Formats: sequence, structure tokens, C-alpha cells
Amino acid sequence: MLVLFETAAGYAIFKVLNERKLQEVDSLWKEFESPEKANKIVKLKHFEKFQDTTEALAAATALVEGKIGKRLKKVLKKVVAKEAHEELAISDAKLGGVIKDKLSLNCVHSPAVAELMRGIRTQLDGLITGLPPREFAAMSLGLAHSLSRYKLKFSPDKVDTMIVQAISLLDDLDKELNNYIMRCREWYGWHFPELGKIISDNLAYCKSVQRVGDRVNVASTDLSDILPEEVEAEVKTAAEISMGTEVSEEDICNILHLCQQVIEISEYRTQLYDYLKNRMMAIAPNLTILVGELVGARLIAHAGSLLNLAKHPASTVQILGAEKALFRALKSKKDTPKYGLIYHASLVGQTTPKNKGKISRMLASKTALAIRYDALGEDTNAEIGAEHRAKLEARLRHLEERGIRRISGTGKALARTDKYQYKSEVKTFDPSGDSTLPPVSKKRRFEEVEQEEEGEEVTVAMKVKKIKKEPAVEEATAEDVETETPKKKKKKEKHKTPEEEVEEEEAAIIVKVKKEKRAPEEAETVAEAEEEQPKKKKKKDKKQAMTEEAEEEPELPVQVSPSRKARIGSDVAMLYTLCHLALSASFKLSSHCKDLCNCPLGRLPPNEGCPAGPCACWVLTDGLAVPLGSLISEGRL
Amino acid sequence: MRPGFSPRGGRGGFGDRGGRGRGGFGDRGGRGGFRGGRGGGFRSPGGDGGFRGGRGTPRGGRGGGGRGRGGRGGFRGGSKVTVEPHRHEGVFICRGKEDALVTKNLVVGESVYGEKRINVEEGETKIEYRAWNPFRSKLAAAILGGVDQIHIKPGARVMYLGAASGTTVSHVSDIVGPEGLVYAVEFSHRSGRDLLNVAKKRTNIIPIIEDARHPHKYRMLVGMVDVIFADVAQPDQTRIVAINAHNFLKNGGHFVISIKANCIDSTAAPEAVFAAEVKKMTQENMKPQEQLTLEPYERDHAVVVGIYRPPPKQKK
Repeated sequence: MLVLFETAAGYAIFKVLNERKLQEVDSLWKEFESPEKANKIVKLKHFEKFQDTTEALAAATALVEGKIGKRLKKVLKKVVAKEAHEELAISDAKLGGVIKDKLSLNCVHSPAVAELMRGIRTQLDGLITGLPPREFAAMSLGLAHSLSRYKLKFSPDKVDTMIVQAISLLDDLDKELNNYIMRCREWYGWHFPELGKIISDNLAYCKSVQRVGDRVNVASTDLSDILPEEVEAEVKTAAEISMGTEVSEEDICNILHLCQQVIEISEYRTQLYDYLKNRMMAIAPNLTILVGELVGARLIAHAGSLLNLAKHPASTVQILGAEKALFRALKSKKDTPKYGLIYHASLVGQTTPKNKGKISRMLASKTALAIRYDALGEDTNAEIGAEHRAKLEARLRHLEERGIRRISGTGKALARTDKYQYKSEVKTFDPSGDSTLPPVSKKRRFEEVEQEEEGEEVTVAMKVKKIKKEPAVEEATAEDVETETPKKKKKKEKHKTPEEEVEEEEAAIIVKVKKEKRAPEEAETVAEAEEEQPKKKKKKDKKQAMTEEAEEEPELPVQVSPSRKARIGSDVAMLYTLCHLALSASFKLSSHCKDLCNCPLGRLPPNEGCPAGPCACWVLTDGLAVPLGSLISEGRL
Repeated sequence: MRPGFSPRGGRGGFGDRGGRGRGGFGDRGGRGGFRGGRGGGFRSPGGDGGFRGGRGTPRGGRGGGGRGRGGRGGFRGGSKVTVEPHRHEGVFICRGKEDALVTKNLVVGESVYGEKRINVEEGETKIEYRAWNPFRSKLAAAILGGVDQIHIKPGARVMYLGAASGTTVSHVSDIVGPEGLVYAVEFSHRSGRDLLNVAKKRTNIIPIIEDARHPHKYRMLVGMVDVIFADVAQPDQTRIVAINAHNFLKNGGHFVISIKANCIDSTAAPEAVFAAEVKKMTQENMKPQEQLTLEPYERDHAVVVGIYRPPPKQKK
């Protein structure tokens, strides 16, 4: 059996002298305890030394990848020539398979072989005579270094980290520059505010400020190389009549420092941009030609490295940069975005919006090819990029001409134009613009409204309370209204006069709200009672209910929101609006309101000046309007 | 029970300092007292502050905590320090106002990761030592924790799995000296770059930028080694060490493995994790001999030292 042993100095082929010993795997190590014993087990048959480090490196890389290098092939062929029947013991099973395929040598890899390898490795310098151990060590070290360097330096000049860093720096610089410029404008604007409005270009502004310094120097400084003629003249005139404050020397000094910084950073930014362009052309020429330097650099930066970018399919390249939109669309099952960073490429920018999606897709597919060529190709030239770009531009032209020469389909199918359809746009007058009332949203049905009125506006009640005095009429109507079905209510509304309607609703609402105000049980009972006896409402009950409710009514906020008003009904809403106005007009109601409210005094119940006192309810008793409160106190209710 | 295997937690001091209780560095908690200083016989290359946070607070995890603290033992300028050898060969202790663990610098005048260098004159010769930060290096933490044997000695061949940027590797290289060899295996390219730079200066470090899970890929570069030191922080690290040992570790060779409980199984208790790892080791013909936790430098970390394929005991 032969053994293939790879070392840093070269390939070694050993012959196993005593194959029987291989059977006892566990005691095999004993055989390698000393060089002499080792030499009894294996003998060096052939040692193929590497000529130089390049060869060694090639061999090592082949080994790492599990392939057969040229040198190894040569060595093995020699072996095959001599002893084809022998088996070859190797350390790597995968390599063994390859050797078997290519050179039809039987390869062996087993625990015994592993032990054998261990033994050989232990006694390597003893077994391989003719090589001083120092050389071994030196070769080992050299090989390790070159191998590592080869691994790390995957592509020697294509250090795309430069691109990533440069583009990030460019963005940072822009941000910072903007900050500084704004600050400079603001700061100097204290002293000479008009200058900021006259000179819109930031760099020109800073340069002018730096040249001028204090405002008084404007007349004497020459700004012709920074600003155009008219602007300069404007500046000079503005300086005379400026309303800015005076600033001291130190202040100006600091402002000038800032301007200096801004100018320097601007210059550096242009420099950086040039550098980026150069690097992009050097590292990824095809990508640069297709999409431009900036977009290309951003794509690389987004993916992390050129190699990473090359791994993305074209569809990903198309929407790189629009991840948020993409996943949002995917989650909500909507349309995914059509373009990401690619949108800013010139090819996409110069098309009509309709075709942007198509172009973006085509560009992305060609770009993906270009990126792969740049990242993984051996020799980089810009031919592919130029070719693709030409093709894309041709296709773009086709698209724009709308397929006069169709890309696909027979020649017989000519381009069709859209059928002419007259879309008449007749505008009618929209009367809803006339009304100043808040819009009524008719979204809810009346049943729902009724049900909701239970939990409805306390505000309503409050307002209504302030409006005050419900005569008995109202009560009666209230009960009617309340217990009616929505339909009936509507009917009734139609029949009744607006006033009554309003009253009803108002009262109904009052009652309902009041119902809500009191204890739930009471409310329920009242409700039930009311519902049970739709028409036979005992006034007394009602009154009782109302009094109880009335007593417990707390203070309520004045505001009635428009949506709530909508629910109540436009008429009532109108009432409330008017009442609100009236409220603000020192508690005096308009005559219209007075009629509605039936208040004998035509006044809302303030605590002073009105015999009603704190109670807001008025009751029509025996043809007289009497405050409810007095009725209660007298015990008549 | 295995007699030779004694789990120790945070054992203080060194064997020969019985009298001093918690060992030569005063209180480990007191190591926060290393203050920055300049001048005198001590060159402090831009260093500041001592072993910051050394007030006995356990560090959670290796990355942020340990690395954040600069490995700078500060020494006040002008104070006289003495350097004396540690129980372990190749390692020294620098005594002054504050004590530090140091190794003899193989490349004089160079600081690998910004650590403090100490120059001492012994008669005619000037020797330079580099301070070893136990917060950044698990091996230093183990030594200060009082491990019995690290097996890394001058002239040894060491295989270092998980070399990272080469900070501890440089100290191992100092210990083994020009006669020894350190095979530093690191998979990450970014760290590999730094490792390569360290290896450029130190010729006894052989950098291998490969995955330690496939030792057959770098078999061409490595000979048999005496010690394997593993600090890989992978859930299958025992298996990794085992296959490397099968390939490259001599019979009777030793291994020093640093186990991070969080990394193996973050849900289990650390002791359970360590016990499970030890069990795995015994199955691979690796006999653990001692286990030691790295408190107060690291939290839930342990170091296991053992022997591989121990030579059969001669029954006489």
C-alpha cells in the first residue's frame, strides 16, 4: 500500500512495508514512537519537492479545494506507471474520489489510514531524509503566509470596500455640509439677513461671506468672480440698507472660520466624487457604463460588497433599495415596487413614466450580468457593458415608438391605436357647497341612531338643558317620539312641523340622555316602561323620570362635535348651533329660538334673574309655565 | 469520581503563595486599582486607565465587555517594579504599586493591541515585557484564576483554534519563544487580516485562515503539536477540537478548551453545559483533568484542561 502525504515542502509517497501492522489500529501508534521503528513500517518511496513558493501555493490551494494540482497529477502518474495495483492511502476522502476518477487509482481512507497519517506526521523529519528540519519549518511558514494572503486578497485590486466607504462618506459629507451651510446662513443672517435671500447658491454665499467679512466691507470688496454682475450689485445695495445687527470682530472671525470649513468640505466633496468615479471605473467598469457611477456605487454599498451583489438575481437588483415597500406590498398582497435604487439610473430617468417599469426590469437583468462579469471575471474590460447599453437604448427607442416595428408577433399585425372615445366632462352645480352647516354623514341608520342615543351626547343634554324648559307638550311628544319605531319617528317628523320635530328630538334626546345620566337600573326600567307602553305613557311616570333625571344631571360640557350633531338630525343641530350662539350672546335667545323652546321668559335659565332657579325644566301646568323645581319642592310631583 | 478532575470555581491565588490567601495580585476585585500613569521606566504607548472595571464585577460575555476595557495596566511613572517569574513557565508577574501578569516580548518595542509594555533592566540587559489583560484573554484569566497547568511552555508547539485578531496568540507566542511554534487558525477574514499582521512580525506564528471544522484542508501546513488551545465559541466546539486532536495532537498531548456556556446552550444552566461538554470530551478519548471558571473576568465561562490519549499507566 502506498501513502500520499502532503507537506509544505512537497509531496511524499511512502510505501507501507508491514501491512499486517495496519490491522491493529489501536497499537499502531507504538510503531511510530521512534524514527527507527517508523522506518520499519513505512519507507519513503518518492519525494516531489516544490520548486518555489508559487508552486507550493498552487498545490496548497488545490488541496484546500479538494482538486488535483498539476504537480500532484504528475507525481501520481509516475506512481501509476510503476505500481498500478497498489492502493493509495490518502487523508482526504474527497480527494481520493477525484484521484480514482481521473487516474483510476484505488484510494483508501479509513481509521487505520488516519492513524498511519498521525504516525507519519509525528516522525516526519525522521522519515523524510534529505531535508533539514529548518527548511521544512521555513517552507511551512512561507506557504502559510502566502496561502492566507491569497485567501484574504480574493481579488487583488478589486477592493470594493473603498467604494462602500467612499459612498457612505459622500452621503455623510452632504448631510454635514448641509448642516454647516444652514448654520452659516443663520449665523451670518443676524448680521446681514438680506444676503441669504439674494444669494441662493450655498457655496457662493460662503465664499462671499468669507471675502466680505463685516457688512461694511461689502462696498469695497470685489465679488465679481464669485457672483454674477446683477447679484453683486444687489448685494452692494442691500448692504447699505441692511437691517442686521452689528457684530464684533471675534464674531466675524468665528463665522469666517465656519465659512472656511464649509468651503474646504465642499472642495473635498468634489474631490471625493472624482475619486469615487475613478474607483468605480477601475473596479466595476461594466456596471458603471450601464447605470452610472453613483447608482453603481450605491448598489454595491447596499449589498455590502461586489461579490455579494453578484450573488443577487436580477429581480433583486431591480428592487434593491425598496425593501420597505416590497415587504409591505408582499404582506398586504398588493403590487410590489417596480424599481429601487435603479430608478436613479439615467436610462430609467429618461423614459416616460409608463415605460419606467419595463426599462427598469430590462436594465436590472443586464446590470446583473455586468455585475457578475465584474465581480467574478478574470480580465475586466468594458465591452460587455457598452454592448448591453447599446442594446438597451435600442429597445428603449422601440418602446417609445410604440412598436411600429413590433418586437414580437408577425409583421402583419400592425400597430393599433386606441379607439377614440369622447369622455364628456359635464360639471353640475354641487349645492352642498352652499350650506355652512357641518356636513351630515348619513352613514348610520336611524335604528342604530336610536340605540345609540342611549349612550349619546351628554353634551346634547347639556345644551338642551341650558335651552331649558320643556313644557308638558314636549314631554308628551317626547314619549311618543321615544317609543316609536324609527320609521314612525321619521313619519312623524315628516308630518309634524319643524318646531315640533325639533322639540321631539330635543326632548327625546334629553330624556334619553337623562336616562343615561341616572342609575342604570332606573334607566332600564324607564326604558322598558316606555317601550312596553308605547302610547300610554303616563305623564307622571315620565315626569318622575324626568325629574329624577333632572336632579341628577351634572354639569356638562358645552361643545357638540359635528359628528354628533349629524347623528341627531340636522334640525336639532341647527337648534343647538343657534342656541350656542344665543348662549354666547348673554343668555338671550333669538326670537326663533324662543318659539322653539317655549320659554316664557325667552331666556335660558341662569341662576340669577330667572324664577326657574337652578332647575332647567319648565312644566306646563294648568296652562302656566311653572318651573319644575318649584313643583317638586311643593310636592306636587 | 475521577480523582484528578477537580472542578474549581474562582480559586484565588497561586500554589506557592499559600500565605497570601487570594494570591499575588491582592484582591482580584482590587485590580481595578491599576491606574494609568506615564513616565519613568515604563513606556505607556497611548494607554490610559488600568484594568478598568476590575472591581470584581463579572462580565457578561466576551465580546463587548472584555474587549471594551483596554488591556492597559497603568503604572505610575517613576515607580520601581520588579518582574518575577510565575509558577507557569514563560509567564511573569510584574510587581509594583499594582501587579500585572506579563509575558516577555518577542518583538521588542512593539505593542500588538495597545497594551502596556514594561522595560526592566537586569544588569546589562534590557528586557521588555508586555502586560496581559485577563479581561481580554481567556488564558490570562485562567492563569489568574489559578489553573494548575496550562502546558504552554517555552519550546512547545501549540495549535490555537479561534485565533481572532491575534491578541492572545501574541502572548502565547511570547511564552513558547523562538523555539516553539504557534499554529493560529482563524476563519474570519477581517480578523484574519489582523492576525496576518501579527504573524508578519512574529515568525513563530503560522497563520491559517481556514475553517477549523475541516482540518484536512490545512494538513499541509501543520505538523504534530503538543498542546491545542481552543477558544472558538461554537456549539460544536468539542467536536472541532476532537477532529483537530485526532489529526494533529500527539499522544499524551494536552488540550485547553475555553467553554462559553451561553454559546453552547443559552437555556441550560452553565454547570450543566460544562458537565455535558466534559462528557462529550471523554467520549472522544480526551481525558479532562481540571475545570475552572473564569470568574470574575468572564461570566459563565469555564476552562477545561485535559490530556489526549494518555499513555497507558505502566503497572509495575
